[in-house]
Amino acid sequence: MLEIKDVHKSFNKNTILKGVNLSIDKGDVVVILGPSGSGKTTLLRCINFLEKADQGHASFGDIKVDLHQAKKKEIHAIRQKVAFVFQNYNLFTNKTALENVTEGLIIGRKIPRDEAIMRGKQALDKVGLSEKYNAYPIELSGGQQQRVGIARAVALNPDIILFDEPTSALDPELVGEVLSVMKAIAKEEGTTMLVVTHEISFAKEVANRVIFMDDGVVVEEGSPHEILVTPKEERTIRFLKRVIPKDYIYQI
Amino acid sequence: MSQGLNYEFLIDTFFVALSGISITLLVTVISLIIALPLGFLLAITRINRIPVIQRIAQIYVSFVRGTPIIIQIFIIYSSIPLILKAFFDKYNIQLDIYKINPIWYALIIFSFSTTALLIEVFRSALGTVKKEQLEAAYSVGLTTFQAYRRIIIQQVLVVALPNLCTTTVNLIKATSLGYAMSLPEITLNAKVAANMGYNYVEAYLDIFIIYLILCMAVEYIFKVLEKRLSKYKMANA
Repeated sequence: MLEIKDVHKSFNKNTILKGVNLSIDKGDVVVILGPSGSGKTTLLRCINFLEKADQGHASFGDIKVDLHQAKKKEIHAIRQKVAFVFQNYNLFTNKTALENVTEGLIIGRKIPRDEAIMRGKQALDKVGLSEKYNAYPIELSGGQQQRVGIARAVALNPDIILFDEPTSALDPELVGEVLSVMKAIAKEEGTTMLVVTHEISFAKEVANRVIFMDDGVVVEEGSPHEILVTPKEERTIRFLKRVIPKDYIYQI
Repeated sequence: MSQGLNYEFLIDTFFVALSGISITLLVTVISLIIALPLGFLLAITRINRIPVIQRIAQIYVSFVRGTPIIIQIFIIYSSIPLILKAFFDKYNIQLDIYKINPIWYALIIFSFSTTALLIEVFRSALGTVKKEQLEAAYSVGLTTFQAYRRIIIQQVLVVALPNLCTTTVNLIKATSLGYAMSLPEITLNAKVAANMGYNYVEAYLDIFIIYLILCMAVEYIFKVLEKRLSKYKMANA
């Protein structure tokens, strides 16, 4: 459904992505792991054109685009199929939770107001925020804000949702609520997801494929078991040793 | 023999001066209508460092800020008729440039100077809105124009309101300089009335009160506006 080919990206003289390939099928939950600075976030941002890749191609179903030279129309068409959940939530600060969710529906997709509000409420119910329709972001905790962010993405009914380290900015005790919402969406809705995260447990329990990236390339990919329990590459092993406590035993 | 205030003149002139309020408000409102979008767009060129235009905007701002409005009035009021005259003569247009209503000059000058001030107001306000807000708007499928209209401008306005209020009040007061080009606004009306009987103190007192009330009303309107627009910032947790 989504195929990314040979993505390159540098910032000034700093090369971040050195030819990344990626293919995701409908219903996949793909987790990208990797040390910071390995280009995970940049890859996600290139897919959604928040960064302009220096080189690379993407195909979303029947739409094929050059990631470097995409026209405004093509970018707009792809953003209609792809939703994004940000590390720092990035809720519209001047809109209520419900307005945050309906904004993209009413303005971006031209869905009638009543229907958009209904879909918005359903999405907020799904993430457990039925009580917070009219709360402004400033009135919500980090975990609640991120759940609104997820509802905003889910309500768009996209072909795929990109999660950019959705729990990294949260206090530790709030990580659980966000992960369980993501898990529920993956399991119950069968939503296709591409998730950049440091939560190994999420990769283990929810992903059907794990990709390990380092230094701008995909080092290794496979099932969670293959990557997390029986990694082959030296770099993967080193990374996992660093992030997984010694006495942590994996059981899948 | 020295007398107290001429109260009858004071009250009569108050209404004479007040009759100029429509011109004062007209010049203020139209200048703002022209300057608000123009100042906003030029502020965006400054923020996004759009090569040539941002440099021009920068020079324009320092030009306006570095000169008194009265001098800008003198320059424009004396040079534009000459330019127009040369233009009309050349193309044989039968139009008496000395019959042009001074309100046109006032609108040019005040939109010109207000735009420059608003570039700076919006530039600092735009700086407070994080670029992530724009990215979030893109991610839900909004175009740049929609994102500005629905998200960015609303947030910018709230931050800019206190400075917009100052600019508006300053503009109202600055229109009093319109008397220098015979613009029949509050100040000119009062001065003309005073000329006849040398009742300057009464006339100035009238002007003083009218501007004071006018500016206080404007400040009140802005305060209400700010309260309404910034409700998302004051919400209680």
